Amino acid sequence: MDLTYSEADEQFRAEFRAWLDANLPAEWRQRGFWSRQDRDEGFAMRREWEASKARAGFAGIQWPKEYGGRGGTPAQRAIYDEEMVRYRAPLTVNGLGLTFLAPTLMVIGSDEQKRDIIKPLLHNEVIWCQGFSEPNAGSDLAALQCRAEPDGDEYVINGQKIWTSQAMHSDKMFGLFRTSTEDKKHRGITMLIVDLRSPGIDIRPLKQMTGATDFGEVFFTDVRVPKSNVIGVEGGGWDVAMLLLSFERGASAMPQYTGFRRELDDIVGLARDLGRDQNPLLRQRIASSVVELECLKYHSLHVLTQVEQGKELGAASSMTKLQWSETHQDIGELFADVAGLGHQVSGDGVDDLQRSYLWSRSETIWGGSSQVQRNIVAERLLGLPR
Amino acid sequence: MFFSLTDEQRALRSTVRELLADRFPLSAVRALYDDDGSDGDPAELWKAIGEQGWLAVLIPEDHDGLGLGLLDAAVLARCWGEGCVPGPFLPTLVAAEAIRLGGSAEQKSSWLPRVAAGEAKLTLAHGGRVTQADGKLSGTVHHVEYAHVADALVVAADGGRLWLVDPRGAGVTVTVTKALDRSTVLTTVVLEGAAGQELPGAVLPDVLDRGAVLYANDLAGVARVALDRTVDYDKTREQFGRPVGSFQAIKHALADLHVAVTMAEHAGWYAAHALDAGLPDAALAVSVAKSKAGDAAREATAAMIQYHGGIGYTWEHDAHLFFKRAKRAEYQYGDPAEHRERIARLVVDGA
Ligand SMILES: Cc1cc2nc3c(=O)[nH]c(=O)nc-3n(C[C@H](O)[C@H](O)[C@H](O)COP(=O)(O)OP(=O)(O)OC[C@H]3O[C@@H](n4cnc5c(N)ncnc54)[C@H](O)[C@@H]3O)c2cc1C
Repeated sequence: MDLTYSEADEQFRAEFRAWLDANLPAEWRQRGFWSRQDRDEGFAMRREWEASKARAGFAGIQWPKEYGGRGGTPAQRAIYDEEMVRYRAPLTVNGLGLTFLAPTLMVIGSDEQKRDIIKPLLHNEVIWCQGFSEPNAGSDLAALQCRAEPDGDEYVINGQKIWTSQAMHSDKMFGLFRTSTEDKKHRGITMLIVDLRSPGIDIRPLKQMTGATDFGEVFFTDVRVPKSNVIGVEGGGWDVAMLLLSFERGASAMPQYTGFRRELDDIVGLARDLGRDQNPLLRQRIASSVVELECLKYHSLHVLTQVEQGKELGAASSMTKLQWSETHQDIGELFADVAGLGHQVSGDGVDDLQRSYLWSRSETIWGGSSQVQRNIVAERLLGLPR
Repeated sequence: MFFSLTDEQRALRSTVRELLADRFPLSAVRALYDDDGSDGDPAELWKAIGEQGWLAVLIPEDHDGLGLGLLDAAVLARCWGEGCVPGPFLPTLVAAEAIRLGGSAEQKSSWLPRVAAGEAKLTLAHGGRVTQADGKLSGTVHHVEYAHVADALVVAADGGRLWLVDPRGAGVTVTVTKALDRSTVLTTVVLEGAAGQELPGAVLPDVLDRGAVLYANDLAGVARVALDRTVDYDKTREQFGRPVGSFQAIKHALADLHVAVTMAEHAGWYAAHALDAGLPDAALAVSVAKSKAGDAAREATAAMIQYHGGIGYTWEHDAHLFFKRAKRAEYQYGDPAEHRERIARLVVDGA
């Protein structure tokens, strides 16, 4: 056991902090700042700030230098994540591209794709969304029906995607489409890049329970896409999707830990303000959340160690997801119980907690629902029969 | 950055597991359940532990010990839980920590080498009301593990001071009680003007933390084996023409337990390391580990009974060995609610 970071890693931390100190506006770090911004303007501000961070070399921490990355270690990536949350730096606007698309292309992309996509993505020149889910294909993703009909050296897309995060702010989509209906369900699927400015695309925002329109529906009517936009091979989309989703694993939950722990501190502060901090039941609940969060931290350190040793995490990442998402929901309920009816009323100091409380309800749905994660843990980690 | 066991610690774990499974399998634990005349401290087991040098793990090298850390002892404690292993091993480790941390040079050299060699059994008697006047102790301490076979008691008296007491000396009465869990023996210690030798160091809180960490790791071991055995059974037990482990109601419950037990395991390691390394969040980590392990072990062992069905409720099945040990250790060195209140004092009150 050795929980210290190497000198090089600590050096990296110091450099990154110095950059953040100099380049992150103080008011951005205030509680509730982003809730008060107009969503489109806020998005533009974050997009530009993130690009400047990339220009300074604080992006793609673990990516090889040839792709514009920093060529750092998994520990540096963890430090980066931690500091971003600690500084209340704005969340990335290109998360799906950064987490999923770029690492996938590094493995199976064509030379042109690697050259044309990865670096512009890192610098927010192109914002990406992920088009997987459809009205009739959610947890059962392989049931997707959106059709991409081969036609010469193009495909013609007809159909619909839904719950597409950031669809309204995105330039391009990587998505799964059915290119053949003869084969078995998991075959005949192809991953394609679609330019969202193409004729025949209609993007309609969907209002979430928070009131925000952070996802939408994307309708395709005779949308033409060149065959060079295939990622991997035609009909091999399922395997590409599995590779792509595997990049979510490997990531430790340190950022969630850091962010949720701060939320909990805010809830404790609220309890004090309201004179409820000596209520024994609330104290037990607060402590329970601390227990689960600290366990998440220890667990993340273990995951990080395994990543550094080059171990495949596989289905173990489902445990990580369950631990953080379910714990965050408990923290949301704790907030409501501490605030009482006050949790309903917006106002300075509680807006962020209120929004987080609602948002936590989505975290057990996207990225594989808790039920699906439990199936994975039971079948793949415990070996229970299907 | 390395959060895992070292190769040496893994090797130690395999050795301990194998030897315990060989010399003291669950059938031997069961024999204690069926033999009302036993003193609950199998002599051949104690001898083997002494020969292996496992009692020396926390004793400093200059007192003939191995001078290893609490994490190494935690590895052993985990194995103890896995096998529901009886005997005054953990009580001796904890009480010896009191002497190592708070004893005089003379107290250390008279006890620590003997503990390391497996020649002395110790136990900590705390949680009672014991008063002291002119070095004479009076009061009652309940639920003291293995005081009836101990060579010395480390008694916590009012004011938090610790005293060495000879359990066979004048003014000391030790009564064995009949506990549900027979992988331990709980005794009542009555002191009536018993002679005590004070430990110079005021180390009780530190000793209690170390006890909490060792028992948390024991509990993580109990929980893991209870879960593994339930999974194994439900893979093959068929009802309605299919393995019951294919039913989602069972799968999801066991998946949640797997997450909880894994968290308890990591928390047990972290807390041990935090005390070894003197990390600033050590106190928090101890309480996290003990409360998480207590909850996880109670839930996993209850699930062991439930997801075995009727057979799980029998005396013949091992489930109750795990269930009763989990419930017993849940209350030792602070139960989950007490540790959560301590966490609240740290986090809410900023204590
Ligand atoms: C905020 C948010 C953002 C999203 N962003 C994107 C995005 O950018 N791109 C994208 O492609 N998708 C996105 N999604 C969609 C998300 O991936 C799906 O909602 C998710 O996969 C679940 O599918 P579904 O909504 O069809 O629910 P369903 O699959 O219909 O699930 C309904 C219920 O049934 C349960 N269930 C399903 N299968 C099983 C099973 N085998 N065993 C037990 N229970 C089961 C589920 O857990 C759930 O409780 C987003 C969703 C949300 C909420």
